Amino acid sequence: MERINHHPILKNFKKRKSVAFFFNNDEFVGYEGEAVSSALIANGIKEFAIHQKNDIPKGIFCANGQCSHCTVIIDGFPQKSCVTSLEEGMHIQTLHHLPELPEDDHPLEHYEKNELNCEILIIGGGPSGLTAAIELAKLNFSIILVDDKEELGGKLLLQTHKFFGSIKDCYAGTRGIDIGHTLEEEVKSFTNIRILTSSSVVGVYKDQKVGVFIKNKKYALIKFDGIVVSAGAREKSLIFPGNGLLGVYGAGAFQTLVNRDLVKSSDRIFIVGSGNVGLIAAYHALQAGITPVGICDILDRASGYQVHADKIKRMGVPIHLNHTVLSADGNGKVERVTIAEVDDNYQPILETAKTFEVDTLLIAVGLSPVDEFYDTANNYGFKVIKAGDAMEIAEASSAMFGGRIAGLQMANLLGKDIKIDPEYYEKAEVLKSRPGKVWDLDEVKLNQKFQPIIRCYEEIPCNPCTSVCPVNAIELKSVHKNIMDIPEYSNNCTGCGLCVAICPGLAITLAKQIDDKFAEVVIPFEYNPDFEKGDKIPLTDRDGIFLEDGEVVKVKMLKKYKTHLITVKTTLKNGAKAAGIIIQKESDSKALPKPDYDYVPEDGIVCRCEMITVKEILDYIKEHNVRDINQLKQIRVGMGACGGKTCYDLLPRIFKMAGVEWKDVTKGSIRPLSVEVPMFAIINESEEDIR
Amino acid sequence: MKTYDVVIVGAGSIGVPLAFYLGEKGIKTAVIEKEPSIGRGQNRAAIGGIRATHSDSSKIHICQRSIDIVRRMEDEFGYDVDWLQGGYLFPVYDEQKEKTLRNLLEIQQHFHLNIDWISPDKIAELAPGITMKKLRGGTYSPEDGSASPLKLIDAFYVLAKKEGVDFYFNEEVVDFEKEGSRISKVITKKNVFHSDLIVNSTGGDAMEFSALLGIDVPVYPDSHEGGITEPVQRFFEPMIVDLRPAKGSTNYYFYQNCEGQVIFCITPNPRIPGKNCDNTSEFLPMVIKRMVDLYPRLRNLRIRRTWSGLYPMTPDGFPIVCFPKEYDNLLLTIGMCGQGFMLGPGLGEILSEIIVDKTNKYDTILEELSLYRNFTGEEKLK
Repeated sequence: MERINHHPILKNFKKRKSVAFFFNNDEFVGYEGEAVSSALIANGIKEFAIHQKNDIPKGIFCANGQCSHCTVIIDGFPQKSCVTSLEEGMHIQTLHHLPELPEDDHPLEHYEKNELNCEILIIGGGPSGLTAAIELAKLNFSIILVDDKEELGGKLLLQTHKFFGSIKDCYAGTRGIDIGHTLEEEVKSFTNIRILTSSSVVGVYKDQKVGVFIKNKKYALIKFDGIVVSAGAREKSLIFPGNGLLGVYGAGAFQTLVNRDLVKSSDRIFIVGSGNVGLIAAYHALQAGITPVGICDILDRASGYQVHADKIKRMGVPIHLNHTVLSADGNGKVERVTIAEVDDNYQPILETAKTFEVDTLLIAVGLSPVDEFYDTANNYGFKVIKAGDAMEIAEASSAMFGGRIAGLQMANLLGKDIKIDPEYYEKAEVLKSRPGKVWDLDEVKLNQKFQPIIRCYEEIPCNPCTSVCPVNAIELKSVHKNIMDIPEYSNNCTGCGLCVAICPGLAITLAKQIDDKFAEVVIPFEYNPDFEKGDKIPLTDRDGIFLEDGEVVKVKMLKKYKTHLITVKTTLKNGAKAAGIIIQKESDSKALPKPDYDYVPEDGIVCRCEMITVKEILDYIKEHNVRDINQLKQIRVGMGACGGKTCYDLLPRIFKMAGVEWKDVTKGSIRPLSVEVPMFAIINESEEDIR
Repeated sequence: MKTYDVVIVGAGSIGVPLAFYLGEKGIKTAVIEKEPSIGRGQNRAAIGGIRATHSDSSKIHICQRSIDIVRRMEDEFGYDVDWLQGGYLFPVYDEQKEKTLRNLLEIQQHFHLNIDWISPDKIAELAPGITMKKLRGGTYSPEDGSASPLKLIDAFYVLAKKEGVDFYFNEEVVDFEKEGSRISKVITKKNVFHSDLIVNSTGGDAMEFSALLGIDVPVYPDSHEGGITEPVQRFFEPMIVDLRPAKGSTNYYFYQNCEGQVIFCITPNPRIPGKNCDNTSEFLPMVIKRMVDLYPRLRNLRIRRTWSGLYPMTPDGFPIVCFPKEYDNLLLTIGMCGQGFMLGPGLGEILSEIIVDKTNKYDTILEELSLYRNFTGEEKLK
């Protein structure tokens, strides 16, 4: 299949070595060091394994090392392909049912116990973990920072869009990937931070040690005085028939494939959920040359920021509100997705079903904190603080700021006496605010000089437009007196276009009247332009409604923001309205003439590790009068590789379907190990130095 | 007031099978459990081994019954409880252990147990890839096996309910009332029970529970950790028990269950007394080093989960099954020393016969497992 070679934002990998490998005896080519899963997907191979139950095909799911769906046989050994690096000549095979344990019978010759010490252990090197590490390093603590990825930065590295927030506190207006690299560099400049990448914390033990699985090979116990849990979030799953098909996975997994590995993992995707994650997945898809056929959300408005939703609509991606996903269908893999409108009780109205042809269905229905290490450490009475999404799901801007506070709080727990500025807490609250009031904006009358037209009408914590303006022509309203206020233009615009380029919501254009018939509009554009001066391009209003074809007057690239500013000539009446350029053709998001689906709601998969359906669990709950999650282990719910991380959030709904109140159900516990660790690693059989 | 013929306290490995056998005999039975469901004490922590090859007649007798019951579970009652007759294998690598096991073998064979000394080659057949260096042979008992604790207790629970047994979950017994030498009332926060017989099968809580009745029982729980791997295709058959002591532990054992997962457990040395079931950082490096040393092929197996459970120990390593003198209507069935799962089915059936049929054919068991023995003996094979 394909690689993404011309991404408008992401640079191509520097010289990667092509290597040959074998999959089921056929020869393919991939890049040395890339994830085996990505090499397979880039070669069009999506079926990695066949599940022992009902021969269900398995492929990439979390792309995050957390589940084990992507396990294949590599040179005779079962391995998770998403965390195994490709090497020349690898023999990879489909895993059929259970793997055979290799007859690797040489005697045990070497083992060692690996113990590391630190004052502060930070679990997770994403936005909050990195800023916490920086604050603590400045205070001279000895720190070990553990992250399960090869590179620090967490999900920042997957974000090609500019961030909301404020420039001063959280790099607003800068793209996530660039922020990630900046923070990584700063962390690496401290000699008192020891960094363990490609390393997963697998358990917190009562003797005040943490077990870490390092680079697929080794295991260390880390002694600490305090822990910062900044382990981020995991994606929530969703139940619908066909959710176990190949090609149904989370938006985060998609971002990993597309934005980290530059693999064109799909041709056509559909997205369930219009929160910021779902919205941005559509934006990422377009940048990667993948067609986002549509987004649906069961609510009557987009759950993410309005400016985010608006920009996606302007690009030509429909957002189907009041719609739920009915089913994914296809022969072993996703070929179609069907959505339907919901009634007042959020039940689907089957008569409204619409089927779209897609090869991938992304689930973006929210995140849940990865906070079990915090809970365990807290139960044991250790000094522990959580930060970022592990504490509360919010934007990365909030996580970065919150991480700094968490760092200082941890320092105080360990005996420092640092006064934390009360303003920090206020700012942290603001940064994690949900969207506020929606304002009616006045229509702007154009004049002969450029002025910004700001379509930022919903209160969100964001202000880079005000910071970047060289003449301070944009100011926030003075209602909340913080960055939740919406911006307003006063006067004196010089037409520099910086506000247009920096706005994360792409919500600002410049416009002026050029004569009594025409206007000129400067529109931000974050794709590779396939047009040039003189071409006609389709323009839309704020909400994505087509206005007219405008003539391109100028194409300019503002390198600092990696954003094109496209100057377009429009009719005068549309000058103030033109807000965006359509990228995706209407025909790309058309439904099939007739819906085509199977709707058996109880066929949905709840536990993906063990492929257990809604029906199986419902029957068991009813037959056994289940009031304790632990009883479900009898039918293997939560007994798989992921330990219930995916299905646990789904269970309340299943109990509700069985007529049991969730509050009456005794909850389960998450035990170590959080990811599977081979025995050879536990005893450090390999003498290789892998630091 | 709720009135029953028998009230069992504790819905675990012992209480639930007993409830079924009583129910089956038409006895009006209730089970009171402080946890929200069955098996939430130590049953859920058991690894699933069931063997009759002990060193004393009582446990041998009880576990033979257990094996017989579990083996027939599917045919007789339609419940697949993952019974796997893979046998127990004790490989031997030194002279001293060979002597111990050969001595034990004599006793075991005296009880007509199907167990014998087998050669290193035969061991290699049962567990291909096991370390052959210095392997002297070992004992092997092909009729022993394993089952899923989760599934087995679940089957007994469903069967018991079908027989009309009532279960009271989330109810802790907080008090008793006595009339002379009879316990007249069992009191929980929600209910008061009246019963002709009260059974104490409270596992790890046996001591505290008995103390409520003024009876001192020598049951001291200690904590053992266990673990389970990912599933792979079957590569060995028996439960393998390595009796060699090492730093930090005495024996450890593991087997591959019906799902293909290897389950393992170690006996720490010194003991970890108390009821704390939190995981320690010591467990995995300790047990895995020993397992890979014994069976190198395991090295590529991925460990999925660890947990820990309690062994309610008695001073001599044998259970307490006894009608204590202090009361006319109390039965103790406690101190299973980590073997409640394998003893439960057989003990349940036997006790139901003692309670209902008033048979005296099990008097030896009651004598050997009496609370009033001197506890100076020693279980030869723990």
